[in-house]
Amino acid sequence: MAIFQKLAAGPMAVNELAGRLPVTRPAVSQHLKVLKDAGLVTDHRDGTRRLYQLDPKGVERLRTHFDRMWSTALNAFQEAAEATLPQDKPGEKHGKRRRT
Amino acid sequence: MANAAELDLRVFKSIRVKAPIERTFAVFTEQMETWWPASHHIGKSPFVAIFIEPRVGGRWFEQNADGAHCDWGKVLAWDAPHRVRLSWHVGPGHDSPDWVADPTLDMAKASEVEIRFRSDGSDATVVELEHSRLERHGEGAEQLREIFDSHGAWSFILAHLAARIDGTPAPVLPPAPEQ
Repeated sequence: MAIFQKLAAGPMAVNELAGRLPVTRPAVSQHLKVLKDAGLVTDHRDGTRRLYQLDPKGVERLRTHFDRMWSTALNAFQEAAEATLPQDKPGEKHGKRRRT
Repeated sequence: MANAAELDLRVFKSIRVKAPIERTFAVFTEQMETWWPASHHIGKSPFVAIFIEPRVGGRWFEQNADGAHCDWGKVLAWDAPHRVRLSWHVGPGHDSPDWVADPTLDMAKASEVEIRFRSDGSDATVVELEHSRLERHGEGAEQLREIFDSHGAWSFILAHLAARIDGTPAPVLPPAPEQ
Protein backbone atom coordinates (compact mmCIF):
# COMPACT_ATOMS: atom_id res chain seq x y z
CA MET A 1 0.00 0.00 0.00
CA ALA A 2 2.74 2.42 0.94
CA ILE A 3 4.58 1.49 -2.23
CA PHE A 4 1.48 2.07 -4.28
CA GLN A 5 1.16 5.48 -2.65
CA LYS A 6 4.80 6.41 -3.18
CA LEU A 7 4.65 5.51 -6.84
CA ALA A 8 1.94 8.13 -7.26
CA ALA A 9 4.75 10.69 -7.18
CA GLY A 10 6.17 9.19 -10.36
CA PRO A 11 8.37 6.37 -11.64
CA MET A 12 10.92 5.10 -9.13
CA ALA A 13 13.62 2.48 -8.86
CA VAL A 14 13.60 -0.16 -6.11
CA ASN A 15 16.44 1.60 -4.27
CA GLU A 16 14.59 4.90 -4.15
CA LEU A 17 11.44 3.23 -2.87
CA ALA A 18 13.32 1.30 -0.20
CA GLY A 19 15.00 4.53 0.90
CA ARG A 20 11.62 6.14 1.52
CA LEU A 21 10.01 3.26 3.33
CA PRO A 22 10.78 1.44 6.56
CA VAL A 23 11.17 -1.88 4.76
CA THR A 24 14.03 -3.78 3.20
CA ARG A 25 14.86 -3.74 -0.47
CA PRO A 26 13.89 -7.42 -0.95
CA ALA A 27 10.52 -6.68 0.66
CA VAL A 28 10.01 -3.79 -1.75
CA SER A 29 10.93 -6.02 -4.68
CA GLN A 30 8.51 -8.69 -3.53
CA HIS A 31 5.68 -6.21 -3.15
CA LEU A 32 6.44 -4.66 -6.55
CA LYS A 33 6.18 -8.10 -8.12
CA VAL A 34 2.74 -8.54 -6.57
CA LEU A 35 1.62 -5.15 -7.80
CA LYS A 36 3.02 -5.88 -11.24
CA ASP A 37 1.29 -9.27 -11.42
CA ALA A 38 -1.92 -7.58 -10.40
CA GLY A 39 -1.58 -5.12 -13.23
CA LEU A 40 -1.34 -2.10 -10.93
CA VAL A 41 2.24 -1.15 -11.79
CA THR A 42 4.42 -1.48 -14.86
CA ASP A 43 8.18 -1.34 -15.18
CA HIS A 44 10.62 -0.31 -17.85
CA ARG A 45 14.35 0.01 -18.22
CA ASP A 46 15.92 3.46 -18.02
CA GLY A 47 19.61 3.09 -18.76
CA THR A 48 20.94 0.82 -16.03
CA ARG A 49 17.94 1.26 -13.77
CA ARG A 50 14.55 -0.42 -13.80
CA LEU A 51 11.81 2.06 -13.05
CA TYR A 52 8.42 1.17 -11.66
CA GLN A 53 5.32 3.27 -12.12
CA LEU A 54 1.57 3.04 -11.58
CA ASP A 55 -0.34 1.58 -14.49
CA PRO A 56 -3.25 3.96 -15.15
CA LYS A 57 -5.30 1.06 -16.49
CA GLY A 58 -4.77 -0.94 -13.31
CA VAL A 59 -5.62 2.03 -11.16
CA GLU A 60 -8.75 2.56 -13.20
CA ARG A 61 -9.76 -1.05 -12.56
CA LEU A 62 -9.45 -0.51 -8.83
CA ARG A 63 -11.65 2.56 -9.05
CA THR A 64 -14.08 0.83 -11.41
CA HIS A 65 -14.64 -1.94 -8.93
CA PHE A 66 -15.83 0.47 -6.26
CA ASP A 67 -17.75 2.51 -8.82
CA ARG A 68 -19.68 -0.58 -9.83
CA MET A 69 -20.26 -1.66 -6.24
CA TRP A 70 -21.80 1.68 -5.27
CA SER A 71 -23.90 1.87 -8.45
CA THR A 72 -25.48 -1.44 -7.54
CA ALA A 73 -25.86 -0.57 -3.87
CA LEU A 74 -27.30 2.91 -4.39
CA ASN A 75 -29.85 1.75 -6.95
CA ALA A 76 -31.08 -0.82 -4.45
CA PHE A 77 -30.99 1.82 -1.72
CA GLN A 78 -33.15 4.17 -3.81
CA GLU A 79 -35.75 1.44 -4.26
CA ALA A 80 -35.73 0.62 -0.55
CA ALA A 81 -36.05 4.25 0.52
CA GLU A 82 -38.89 4.93 -1.90
CA ALA A 83 -40.66 1.74 -0.86
CA THR A 84 -40.52 2.48 2.85
CA LEU A 85 -44.01 2.86 4.24
CA PRO A 86 -44.87 6.24 5.80
CA GLN A 87 -45.67 4.58 9.15
CA ASP A 88 -42.20 3.08 9.22
CA LYS A 89 -40.83 5.98 11.22
CA PRO A 90 -37.15 6.86 11.17
CA GLY A 91 -35.38 5.68 14.27
CA GLU A 92 -37.73 2.79 14.80
CA LYS A 93 -35.98 -0.53 15.15
CA HIS A 94 -37.28 -3.61 13.45
CA GLY A 95 -38.02 -6.73 15.42
CA LYS A 96 -35.07 -8.61 14.03
CA ARG A 97 -32.65 -5.89 15.03
CA ARG A 98 -30.92 -6.07 18.33
CA ARG A 99 -28.54 -3.73 20.00
CA THR A 100 -25.32 -5.46 20.69
CA MET B 1 0.75 18.48 4.48
CA ALA B 2 -0.54 16.48 1.57
CA ASN B 3 1.98 15.98 -1.13
CA ALA B 4 0.63 17.52 -4.32
CA ALA B 5 1.48 14.32 -6.14
CA GLU B 6 -0.21 12.12 -3.56
CA LEU B 7 -2.64 9.68 -5.05
CA ASP B 8 -6.22 10.07 -3.92
CA LEU B 9 -8.37 7.66 -5.82
CA ARG B 10 -12.07 8.28 -5.32
CA VAL B 11 -15.53 7.47 -6.54
CA PHE B 12 -18.39 9.95 -6.47
CA LYS B 13 -22.05 9.00 -6.78
CA SER B 14 -25.22 11.03 -6.58
CA ILE B 15 -28.79 9.81 -6.58
CA ARG B 16 -32.17 11.47 -6.08
CA VAL B 17 -34.59 9.61 -3.86
CA LYS B 18 -38.31 10.35 -3.73
CA ALA B 19 -38.53 10.32 0.06
CA PRO B 20 -38.08 12.98 2.74
CA ILE B 21 -34.59 13.49 4.14
CA GLU B 22 -35.30 11.92 7.55
CA ARG B 23 -36.61 8.72 6.02
CA THR B 24 -33.86 8.59 3.43
CA PHE B 25 -31.24 8.98 6.13
CA ALA B 26 -32.91 6.32 8.26
CA VAL B 27 -33.12 3.78 5.46
CA PHE B 28 -29.45 4.33 4.69
CA THR B 29 -28.14 4.13 8.25
CA GLU B 30 -30.66 1.90 10.05
CA GLN B 31 -31.93 -0.46 7.37
CA MET B 32 -28.83 -1.12 5.36
CA GLU B 33 -29.52 -4.86 5.20
CA THR B 34 -32.72 -4.12 3.22
CA TRP B 35 -30.77 -2.80 0.26
CA TRP B 36 -27.10 -3.76 0.51
CA PRO B 37 -26.38 -6.44 -2.14
CA ALA B 38 -26.68 -9.74 -0.29
CA SER B 39 -23.69 -11.21 -2.10
CA HIS B 40 -21.44 -8.55 -0.57
CA HIS B 41 -20.99 -10.04 2.88
CA ILE B 42 -17.66 -10.35 4.58
CA GLY B 43 -18.37 -13.03 7.15
CA LYS B 44 -18.50 -16.73 6.28
CA SER B 45 -22.29 -16.77 6.27
CA PRO B 46 -24.74 -14.21 4.81
CA PHE B 47 -25.56 -11.16 6.89
CA VAL B 48 -28.89 -10.86 8.66
CA ALA B 49 -28.41 -7.23 9.70
CA ILE B 50 -26.02 -4.34 9.15
CA PHE B 51 -25.55 -1.85 11.95
CA ILE B 52 -24.15 1.65 12.07
CA GLU B 53 -23.96 2.83 15.66
CA PRO B 54 -25.27 6.43 15.53
CA ARG B 55 -22.36 8.31 17.09
CA VAL B 56 -18.80 9.32 16.31
CA GLY B 57 -16.61 6.33 17.12
CA GLY B 58 -19.52 3.94 16.62
CA ARG B 59 -19.02 0.64 14.83
CA TRP B 60 -20.24 -0.26 11.35
CA PHE B 61 -20.64 -4.00 11.17
CA GLU B 62 -22.60 -6.89 9.76
CA GLN B 63 -24.25 -9.54 11.87
CA ASN B 64 -24.05 -12.91 10.18
CA ALA B 65 -26.48 -15.80 10.09
CA ASP B 66 -24.04 -17.92 12.12
CA GLY B 67 -24.08 -15.34 14.91
CA ALA B 68 -20.72 -13.79 14.09
CA HIS B 69 -20.13 -10.08 13.78
CA CYS B 70 -17.80 -8.59 11.23
CA ASP B 71 -16.63 -4.99 11.34
CA TRP B 72 -16.73 -2.94 8.15
CA GLY B 73 -15.61 0.33 9.65
CA LYS B 74 -16.11 3.11 12.13
CA VAL B 75 -18.19 6.27 12.32
CA LEU B 76 -15.89 9.26 11.74
CA ALA B 77 -18.62 11.92 11.61
CA TRP B 78 -22.31 11.79 12.48
CA ASP B 79 -24.63 14.69 11.68
CA ALA B 80 -28.12 13.21 11.27
CA PRO B 81 -29.90 13.56 8.91
CA HIS B 82 -27.36 15.46 6.82
CA ARG B 83 -24.00 13.76 6.82
CA VAL B 84 -22.22 10.57 7.82
CA ARG B 85 -18.56 9.77 7.34
CA LEU B 86 -17.38 6.20 7.75
CA SER B 87 -14.06 4.44 7.53
CA TRP B 88 -14.04 1.39 5.24
CA HIS B 89 -11.72 -1.42 6.22
CA VAL B 90 -12.86 -3.99 3.68
CA GLY B 91 -10.45 -4.85 0.92
CA PRO B 92 -8.98 -7.74 -0.99
CA GLY B 93 -7.20 -10.14 1.36
CA HIS B 94 -3.68 -11.44 1.02
CA ASP B 95 -4.55 -15.12 1.26
CA SER B 96 -8.19 -15.27 0.33
CA PRO B 97 -10.10 -14.81 -2.91
CA ASP B 98 -12.84 -13.05 -0.94
CA TRP B 99 -12.85 -9.56 0.40
CA VAL B 100 -11.94 -9.38 4.03
CA ALA B 101 -12.14 -6.78 6.75
CA ASP B 102 -8.97 -5.64 8.46
CA PRO B 103 -9.59 -6.70 12.07
CA THR B 104 -7.10 -4.14 13.37
CA LEU B 105 -9.20 -1.30 11.88
CA ASP B 106 -5.95 0.41 10.95
CA MET B 107 -6.84 3.81 9.51
CA ALA B 108 -3.68 3.81 7.39
CA LYS B 109 -5.14 0.91 5.41
CA ALA B 110 -8.72 2.21 5.32
CA SER B 111 -10.59 4.19 2.72
CA GLU B 112 -13.36 6.60 3.73
CA VAL B 113 -16.98 6.91 2.68
CA GLU B 114 -18.87 10.15 3.13
CA ILE B 115 -22.61 10.31 2.49
CA ARG B 116 -24.40 13.66 2.33
CA PHE B 117 -28.17 14.13 2.31
CA ARG B 118 -29.87 17.31 1.03
CA SER B 119 -33.60 18.03 0.81
CA ASP B 120 -34.90 18.62 -2.70
CA GLY B 121 -38.34 20.00 -1.96
CA SER B 122 -40.35 18.46 0.85
CA ASP B 123 -40.55 14.91 -0.45
CA ALA B 124 -37.26 14.20 -2.18
CA THR B 125 -33.64 13.95 -1.12
CA VAL B 126 -30.42 14.17 -3.05
CA VAL B 127 -27.87 11.69 -1.75
CA GLU B 128 -24.22 12.24 -2.57
CA LEU B 129 -21.70 9.53 -1.82
CA GLU B 130 -17.95 9.89 -2.02
CA HIS B 131 -15.62 6.96 -1.43
CA SER B 132 -12.09 8.31 -1.17
CA ARG B 133 -8.60 6.97 -0.49
CA LEU B 134 -9.29 3.83 -2.52
CA GLU B 135 -5.59 3.45 -3.22
CA ARG B 136 -5.16 2.27 0.36
CA HIS B 137 -6.68 -1.05 -0.75
CA GLY B 138 -3.86 -1.59 -3.24
CA GLU B 139 -2.16 -3.81 -0.69
CA GLY B 140 -4.24 -6.85 -1.53
CA ALA B 141 -3.36 -6.40 -5.16
CA GLU B 142 -2.99 -10.07 -6.03
CA GLN B 143 -6.65 -10.67 -5.27
CA LEU B 144 -7.75 -7.55 -7.09
CA ARG B 145 -6.77 -9.11 -10.35
CA GLU B 146 -9.11 -12.07 -9.81
CA ILE B 147 -11.92 -9.79 -8.79
CA PHE B 148 -11.46 -7.51 -11.76
CA ASP B 149 -11.08 -10.37 -14.17
CA SER B 150 -14.25 -12.01 -12.93
CA HIS B 151 -16.17 -8.84 -13.67
CA GLY B 152 -14.55 -8.61 -17.06
CA ALA B 153 -15.93 -6.36 -19.73
CA TRP B 154 -19.25 -5.95 -17.99
CA SER B 155 -17.85 -3.79 -15.22
CA PHE B 156 -16.02 -1.76 -17.82
CA ILE B 157 -19.27 -1.06 -19.63
CA LEU B 158 -21.19 -0.33 -16.45
CA ALA B 159 -18.51 2.00 -15.19
CA HIS B 160 -18.57 4.02 -18.36
CA LEU B 161 -22.33 4.08 -18.41
CA ALA B 162 -22.29 5.28 -14.79
CA ALA B 163 -19.71 7.90 -15.66
CA ARG B 164 -21.94 9.24 -18.42
CA ILE B 165 -25.01 9.35 -16.23
CA ASP B 166 -23.31 10.65 -13.14
CA GLY B 167 -20.64 12.86 -14.66
CA THR B 168 -18.19 10.91 -12.57
CA PRO B 169 -14.73 12.42 -12.91
CA ALA B 170 -11.93 10.39 -14.37
CA PRO B 171 -9.62 8.84 -11.77
CA VAL B 172 -7.17 11.23 -10.24
CA LEU B 173 -3.78 10.31 -11.56
CA PRO B 174 -0.48 11.86 -10.56
CA PRO B 175 1.07 14.62 -12.60
CA ALA B 176 4.19 13.97 -14.60
CA PRO B 177 7.11 13.05 -12.38
CA GLU B 178 9.74 15.57 -11.40
CA GLN B 179 13.20 14.33 -12.13
